[in-house]
Order: sequence, then structure tokens, then C-alpha cells
Amino acid sequence: MRKTGIIAAATAMLMTVGAASFTQADEPKSGGTLVLGTTQKARHLNPAVQSGIATAVPGTQIFATPLRFDENWEPQPYLAESWSISDDGKSITLKLRANAKFHDGKPITSEDVAFSLQTVKDNHPFKSMFAPVTGVDTPDPLTAVINFEKPHPAALLAMSSALLPIIPKHIYGDGQDAKSHPANNAPVGSGPFKFVEFKPGEYIILEKNPDYFIEGRPYLDKIIIKNYKDLTSLALAIDKGEINMYPFLAPTKDIARLKKNDGLVVTDKGYEAVGPMNWLAFNFNNQYLKDKRVRQAIAYAMDRDFIINALLGGQSKAATGPVVPGSPFYAAGVNKYDLDLDKANAMLDEAGFSRGDGDMRFKLTIDYIPGSAELQKNVAEYLKSQLKKVGIDVELRASPDFPTWAKRVGGHDFDMSMDIVFNWADPVIGVHRTYLCDNIKKGVIWSNTQSYCNEEVDKLLNEAGSELDQAKRIALYKKAQEIIVDDAPLAFINVLPYHTAYSKEIGNPPITIWGAMSPLDEVYIK
Amino acid sequence: MTTVENSQDIIQSQSPWREAIRAFRQSWAGMLGIIILIAVILFTFAGPLFYPVDPFEIVWAPLTPPGESERAPLGTDYLGRDILAGLINGGPATLFVGLVAGIITITIGILVGAFAGFYRGIVDEFLMRVTEFFQVLPALLFAMVLVTLFTPTIYVVSLAIGIVSWPTTARLTRAEFLRIRNLEYVNAARSIGARNRRIIWRVILPNALAPLIVAATLTVGIAILFEAGLSFLGLGDPNVFSWGLMIGSGREYILDGWWVVTFPGFMIFLTVLGFSLVGDGLNDAFNPKLRER
Repeated sequence: MRKTGIIAAATAMLMTVGAASFTQADEPKSGGTLVLGTTQKARHLNPAVQSGIATAVPGTQIFATPLRFDENWEPQPYLAESWSISDDGKSITLKLRANAKFHDGKPITSEDVAFSLQTVKDNHPFKSMFAPVTGVDTPDPLTAVINFEKPHPAALLAMSSALLPIIPKHIYGDGQDAKSHPANNAPVGSGPFKFVEFKPGEYIILEKNPDYFIEGRPYLDKIIIKNYKDLTSLALAIDKGEINMYPFLAPTKDIARLKKNDGLVVTDKGYEAVGPMNWLAFNFNNQYLKDKRVRQAIAYAMDRDFIINALLGGQSKAATGPVVPGSPFYAAGVNKYDLDLDKANAMLDEAGFSRGDGDMRFKLTIDYIPGSAELQKNVAEYLKSQLKKVGIDVELRASPDFPTWAKRVGGHDFDMSMDIVFNWADPVIGVHRTYLCDNIKKGVIWSNTQSYCNEEVDKLLNEAGSELDQAKRIALYKKAQEIIVDDAPLAFINVLPYHTAYSKEIGNPPITIWGAMSPLDEVYIK
Repeated sequence: MTTVENSQDIIQSQSPWREAIRAFRQSWAGMLGIIILIAVILFTFAGPLFYPVDPFEIVWAPLTPPGESERAPLGTDYLGRDILAGLINGGPATLFVGLVAGIITITIGILVGAFAGFYRGIVDEFLMRVTEFFQVLPALLFAMVLVTLFTPTIYVVSLAIGIVSWPTTARLTRAEFLRIRNLEYVNAARSIGARNRRIIWRVILPNALAPLIVAATLTVGIAILFEAGLSFLGLGDPNVFSWGLMIGSGREYILDGWWVVTFPGFMIFLTVLGFSLVGDGLNDAFNPKLRER
């Protein structure tokens, strides 16, 4: 009964998506308001100094970036009408559009590009994005040459979406700290939409930029980003038609329910670059978990099919390695650790941990991020029940709030922990940090908190991080991922079931790799 | 001979405790409460002998309705764990929290109330200001802060509930002490040279105990509800099955499976009802004015 329901829902979804793609042949037209609902509250609107969805969604509307990416991971011109990479890979030359202006009417020059890059390099939490940059030359107002100490293939992705917003030097160059600059709350950018009003925790209002450098766009008159207190009221809001777009929709019961709404389209496209993953991390400082056989045994004891189909209603994909499926660097051929309790038991026996008191071998704790029960707490509870079958006594450690969890895991005070980590488009930005030996930084969350260290992996990752030939790069990452998956510093579980629900009246929905974290200048209301 | 027997009868019935027990047995509410509590205790403590299922084990598909699978007569929760096993094994933790929190409440309450009511003056002033401080704190919020500051284990939860619930008992104790401290038998004790400590604990307290026992019983019921509330807000101990935890973590699934929260909710209802009825019965038993009705 349950299964047929899921199949029926899936078929219905396929049909609605099909119908939507037919009606997309309509000519885009101007006018209308996009009301986008979210529970993520922005602290300010300057993505140059702040990561995260809450700032990135409005930030990509207000600020233009040198490049943008299409749905096939291909770079497209944006503020830069062309770009070229030098033969040695150590410099990238950007040619800027001559007609691009900030919202206050001042022209955008290569000086602004150089200034923005330096600001991001100095302030943004993703240090690896521009770490190899040695400087930016500005031979003329429309040419910027970015110099690197070594080839840096991640640079193109790092110049898109919310990662390199071009901020005006004439405003931010006044000597104030960029992180607390007053302009962050009323920013002047050059993107398709201008800032109108920002009420933290309530709403952000943006209006069409009439002097946008791409002729005839944007189509929308206005974008309102509305904050909701909780996910339930947000799901109800789109169900009732109070808002017409809900990106980063994750609760699987809401996904299933909204898919049944005839007025909505629900798609999982648009999250390929973010690459959000749910995994179980092992602390190598633990006397049991430092043994590879124990980590592998836990991975074999975990039934991903059960987690995805029974606990997450089949709305999520399996994660099998450090890179999410959908990325060009995804390695499909790694060991998948399909459920095998006998093998898990045998490996633990072999490791010398025999069953003792109460038929248990040893005891471990699992931490989990509070607040997202479906992905974290429920899976941890499932693991407690499941690992008992292989003789591991699991105690759940609840954290009352996120900072408590982050302090424990960041401080290496855990045995095992559920965790949610994003790929952030290029492995250099979001993947390397979890595995490099020199990124074992106590106190820093989402660094190599596992204390995993394998010289060979380090070598492969560093090599791949400065390899410009895409095919060679893919091969290097494939090899690195095979070793990592075999070493099992983490047990990979699933890709977060992020979906975008939007009203059928929306044309050109954001389905590029960056989804709603990209300029919505092509979106229109039918 | 018969007169002697009769006089013994009279002496026996004059013992206040025996009189109270007799009155309690005549109170239908008290007896019903006792029966409910015994049933609940048997269910949760003898249950595992007859139904030895691990409450953490996943036995069937998640959210299986009651009666659909032999493995889970009352259905399964959002992970596929047996609800019946959860009910049986969730009882001890719930009762533990209730009793420990109740004992903490009564202990702090009696200590503070007794000293305040007996010594009066500056001691009274000070202790009552402290009591008022705790009384004006929003209890649930303060308990949440305590649980948040420390790891949410069953002991911290019990302690937190105890710490926020004692002021009522303290005020009640103080009122009783103020009433009794100048009665003749207290003065008599004082005149034979009894020390303050002896007067407080051996003379006044036994005579003030009746309303306190009633209050204590009710406190246990309130503490159980409080634990359910904390668990409902996600601040329970995830390693220990309790009815409150079952409701708290199952509440998101209430539209998909009513049984996930209804059965543990019913168990809490029964237990709290049991304690309340026993409290009622004790009130009847200890209150001479009511007894004569």
C-alpha cells in the first residue's frame, strides 16, 4: 500500500515536470513578483564576508559575479564577457562588460574586481577559494588579470554564485571593516535586483534594476524573501499559495505532500553545486575507531536502503563517497558498503574485539546536530538499534543547541557524530577540508574533525587541486575517493533531499547547478 | 471482658494513622487511584517478563498501524520500533523522574518552609524572598535553561524539575509551621527544654505532615507531566525510553500515525490520574473535617 503510494506520487511528479517543460515554450514576459519563502534568517546581505544560504539567495540578486554556471557545469559570461586562462595556468584574464554599472550609477571597473577578490580572500570563511591568489593586475579599467602561485582549477566556480560578489570599492574602500560595514545591511551591487528594504528575521524586498547590464532583463518587477518561523508554516504557506517559491525544501513528508499539489512543481534540480551530504564521522582518536576494520564494519552494518526508503520516504539519493552524485568529480566505482551484518561481525572479531558483557563488544557515543530530526536524530537512533546487532553499544549524546554540538565536534570531543557538510561546487572548496592532514584544526567545525590523515590522499588531493586538465583531474579525484572510501574516515549516508517547490505560473525556474543561489534574472511569471 | 476489648478498640481507633488508613480505604477515589497505580507499576515492571522485546529494536516497517503486524500489536513508531515495548520500558524512567523530582521538591520545600516558619524574622524574610524568586521564574523556561546548560540525561531532567517545583511546598510548610509553632504542645515541648532541632523535626513536622503528604503525591503527577513537556520540546534523554520522549519525538508523525503519540499519552494520563486520585484519597483521610462527612 505504502509502496504503490510512493510510485503513484513519483509518476504524478514525472507528469507534472513533463507538463511544465511543455509550457516553458511560452515567451517570457515582464512583470510580477516572486515571493520566496525561507526559514533561514540573514544576518546581513553581503556574501563577500559571509557564507550560507540566507545571505547567498538575496546576495546573488543584488551582486553580480564575473561568471555564472549553467545546468551542465559550464561557465557562462556574466560581468565578464570573456575570460582566458594562461598556458601555465597561473593567471586568468577577465574582460569586463563596458556597460555594467553599480546600482548607484558608478561604472564597474577592474579596480572593483581586484578589491572584491581581496575582501573575499581576507574575510570569507572558505579560505581555499582564493588561497593561491598572489594578486590582481588591472592594466585597464575593463581588464583584470588574476595571478596564482600555482594553477587553480577551482577559480572559475569560485567566481560564480555568491562566492565572488563584485562589491563597489567606492563604498567599501572607506577603511571600515568589511565584516561589519554599514553597507552590508543596505548593499549597493550591480545584479539584476536592487536593494529596497531589509527587516532582519522578517523579510527582504528587492526590486528590478532598470539599468541591468543584460538587455531586457530581469523579467520580474520585485522579489520578496519572506522569513517563516518554522518549516511547517513554510510548507503550509506554499501549499496555500501565500508564496510562489520554496527553495531548500528538505522535510520528506512535506516534499511528498507538496508533490500532490496540482498547482506546484517540485524538483530536486538546482542543488548539484551545493552538494549537501549527510554522514557519520568517526573520531580517529578513539581507541576502537582508529582501527580501520571497526570503521568499515560500522559502514557494513548500516543499511542505507532502509534509511533512504523507510526513514526518508525514498526522497533522497545515497551518498557513496566524498563527492556527491551529480558532480563531474563523482566516483561511481567505489566500495558501496552494502549491508552485510555477517561481514561486519567477522571484521570486528578479527579486530580482536570479542563480545563480552551483555553480548556487547564495546561502547561508543553518537552526537547529532539538533533541530533536523529526520536527517540526524532519527538516523542516530536507527544506528543505535542497528549497531547493537554487531555488538556495539551506542549511547546517543543529545546537544541542546547547535553551538554545543559544534563545540564538541570541533573540539574533537566525540566518538562518532552525524554531520551535514556541503561540497560547495569544487572539491577544493568543500571536499579537501574534510580529509587533508594539515586541516586537522581543533576548535574549527567542518575542518578535518576526524583527525584522518593519509599521505597518499593528501598528495592526490593537492595534485588534483592544481590540475587544469579536467580529465586528469577527474582521474586523480577518482583515485583519492577510492582510497578515502576504503579508509572509511566517514560512513557516507545520503545526499540531503533538497527540493525546490514553485508555483506552476513560474517560468524558467532556477535549475542551474547553483539553484536559487544564482541570479534569478530569467525567472518570469506566466 | 467485653468492656476491655471494647476499650482496646477505642484506643486503636484513636491512633491517627490507623484512623487515616481506615478513612483512606473508605475513599473510592483513593482506592481507584491505588488500583490504577498498581496496574501501571505491574505493567511496566512485570511487563518485560511477559513481553521481552527491546524497545530500541526495529521490528517492522516504520509507522505500521496497530493490529497489522504480530510483531507490533500496538503498531510501530517512525523508526519501526514496537510501541508496546516502548510503553512497557518507558514506564520506569517516567516513574523515576516523577519520584525523584517529587522527592527533591518535598525535601527542599520542607527544609525551606520549616526554617522560615519556625525561626521567622530575618530567616523567614530571606528564605521567602528566595522562594519568591523561584516562584516568579517561568518554571518550564527555567527547567529548559538548566537542561540546556548540562547534558540532557534523566538525572539532570529530574533535578531540573525538582528545582523549579519546590516553592509551593515551601510556602505550604511555612504556613503549617506558623500555625503550629505556638500551640500548647509545642510550648510544652519547649518548657521541658527541648532544643529547636528537636521541636522542628520531632514535634512540629509530624503534625504538619498531613497536607504535605497530599502535596507530595500531587507533585509526583505534576513532575511526570513536566518530564513529558521537556521531552516534547526535545530536551529529554534520548538513551532512556520514557513516555514523554515517545510523545516528543513522535509528535511530527501525528498526522501519519495517531498511535505513535496516543498510547504513551494515555499511559501518562493514567499515571497522573492515579497519583491525583491517591492524593485526593489522602486528603480525605488526613482531613478530620472532611472525614466526618
